[in-house]
Amino acid sequence: MSDFTGTLVVLLLLITALYLLVNQDWRWAIAALGLQYVWAFLLVIPSWPAELAVVKLVTGWIAASVLGLTRLNLPATPPATGSVPSGRVFRLLAAGLVVLLVLGAAPRLTDWSRAFGIYPAWGGLLLIGIGLMQIALRSGFFRSALGLLTLFAGFEILYAAVEASTLVTGLLAAVNLGIALVGSYLLAAPTLEAEE
Amino acid sequence: MSSAFLWVVLPIAVGAALLLYRRKDDTPLYLSLGLSAVLTWIAWQFPIDVVLQLGSVSFEIAPTLVLLGRNFTLGETQRLLLTFIYAAQTFWLLGAFLTRPGRLFAGLSLIAVGLFMAALAVQPFLYAALLLAAAVLVWVPVLVPQGSQPGRGVQRAIVFNLFAVPFILFTGWLLTGVEATPGNFSLVLRAGLLLALGFSFLLAVFPFHTWMPMLAQESHPYVIGFLMFFLPAVSSLFLLSLIERYVWLRENPAVFQLLLAAGSLGVLLGGLWASQQRHLGRMLAFTSTLATGGLLQAIGLGDAAGLHTFFALLLPQAWVLWALAACFAVLARHTPSQQLDELGPALRQHPLLAFTSVAGLFGLAGLPLLGPFAAHLSIWSGVGQQSVALLVLSLLGSLGLLAAGLRLLHAWLGAPAPATQPGAAQARGDFANPYIWAFFIIWGVTLLGYGLLPSFLAPVGRLVLMFPQLLQ
Repeated sequence: MSDFTGTLVVLLLLITALYLLVNQDWRWAIAALGLQYVWAFLLVIPSWPAELAVVKLVTGWIAASVLGLTRLNLPATPPATGSVPSGRVFRLLAAGLVVLLVLGAAPRLTDWSRAFGIYPAWGGLLLIGIGLMQIALRSGFFRSALGLLTLFAGFEILYAAVEASTLVTGLLAAVNLGIALVGSYLLAAPTLEAEE
Repeated sequence: MSSAFLWVVLPIAVGAALLLYRRKDDTPLYLSLGLSAVLTWIAWQFPIDVVLQLGSVSFEIAPTLVLLGRNFTLGETQRLLLTFIYAAQTFWLLGAFLTRPGRLFAGLSLIAVGLFMAALAVQPFLYAALLLAAAVLVWVPVLVPQGSQPGRGVQRAIVFNLFAVPFILFTGWLLTGVEATPGNFSLVLRAGLLLALGFSFLLAVFPFHTWMPMLAQESHPYVIGFLMFFLPAVSSLFLLSLIERYVWLRENPAVFQLLLAAGSLGVLLGGLWASQQRHLGRMLAFTSTLATGGLLQAIGLGDAAGLHTFFALLLPQAWVLWALAACFAVLARHTPSQQLDELGPALRQHPLLAFTSVAGLFGLAGLPLLGPFAAHLSIWSGVGQQSVALLVLSLLGSLGLLAAGLRLLHAWLGAPAPATQPGAAQARGDFANPYIWAFFIIWGVTLLGYGLLPSFLAPVGRLVLMFPQLLQ
């Protein structure tokens, strides 16, 4: 991966992850999640054969679709009130701290082990950090599921550099789909017919 | 046929098929109970990797199943563990007839136990973290039944259990480096730190335990009890496998000191918090924290005696946690708030279950004559030899759980007797229910029998043979 392409992919990854963190509209959040998996796929490609890496892309898109379809079938919730977007500003500042940390940590990670390239290290750590922020700062199962999927996408970018087992790829795909399915179930559970 | 097919693939497949059953009767429960009992019997009776002749037919249970290029191995040394896990599952399914934890319980419990067994069978075994995470995710539909509003506990449970995965998987990669260069202190430190964090999330060690009481407040006590028994039990076996596998871990005294300290803290906090709870579910959660702390303490003792103690504790703990979850679930059906001060009438109506609950709490606190006592004594003795401060913490924790038992006893005996009106039908309580009588007698005799005669389950001591390096 050339310097220009690598930097561009990491920047695009950062933009989609930040958008996921600050946006209010779930439709755009799902679209951003789908795009995020494309950039993550591009960062996994240097470490893995394309046919294995594409599993992550497809799994991510399926997970995003599952969450999106469930959300689509739920009644609309009123938008948050208040004219000052203090929550968004706070989340952006928190994400800024994550970016600073990652800028310092990623080069050290690559120095420490040659298994990690600098762009996957940046991308993976960024997604892990912003995924954590998403889980910690946003409430609700939908946002938690998005946070967990983001965190796992970051972890998988890094882990791809050190492990290419088909079983682990399958199990990680199952866990990603499991997060999406459980998130969907928890979103829909109150509206489902109660058991006796 | 391979052992992994029999004890991993088959239960998962049957469990998944049972989820499709839509009629509201007990058929899934009967089927899963039957399968679980048969799998227990096969594990108990049939050796693995030996050709058996039945008349003109010969068959063999092969120890290894290859799936996607990796092995799932359950050999002869794990046969007793298979028996134990599937016997436990059989009892949990039997209890479901009394506690009614929901239509999906039977199928999902088979899937969860299949995944737990897969976690113990997979090679390289560090992939177990993924299978344990999958088991937690699978369990969500019974934790939050259809039509109910999910709380924050389930969200936190999922997040914390999934956090364990990256830590443990990266540890696996680091450990290969540590094996190659054992003198590299910074690598050992990083691997150790990742490992400690991963298992802290998995075993819900303080301060990562917060999801347990929250979830216990939101979910059915029997469902949460299942998770709180199987998850720590399988995770601690996973931890033992890890210590068994890596020389630098099992020869490092700091690892065992850390486990002993974490376990003692779990015992202390679990016991003290249990004594402060007014909610049955939360009390069960903190009791489970104390139980997990006890298992960690046993591993932390470090030598062969610690390993023997671990299994000597695991069995009676399983017995007590199962009974506690069952009793609390039946009592919760009569008092949905599960608050101790509203529980009096239900306790008066179910004296056998009330007695079992109190005896269970006392047993886990380490009261003499009851099942876990011998193992507790061994732990206290071992901990005392290493650190008096940790022994004091452990005893305080046990006293806390004892106080929780006394609170329950007070709620039972202090409740006013139910008013009986002439001509009114007596509410159907424990004494009229033969199943509760059978449960009470079998459970009580077993707990007392194991307490009085710990050698009663001596053959179970063979479980330690799974970890030959730790035995040396």
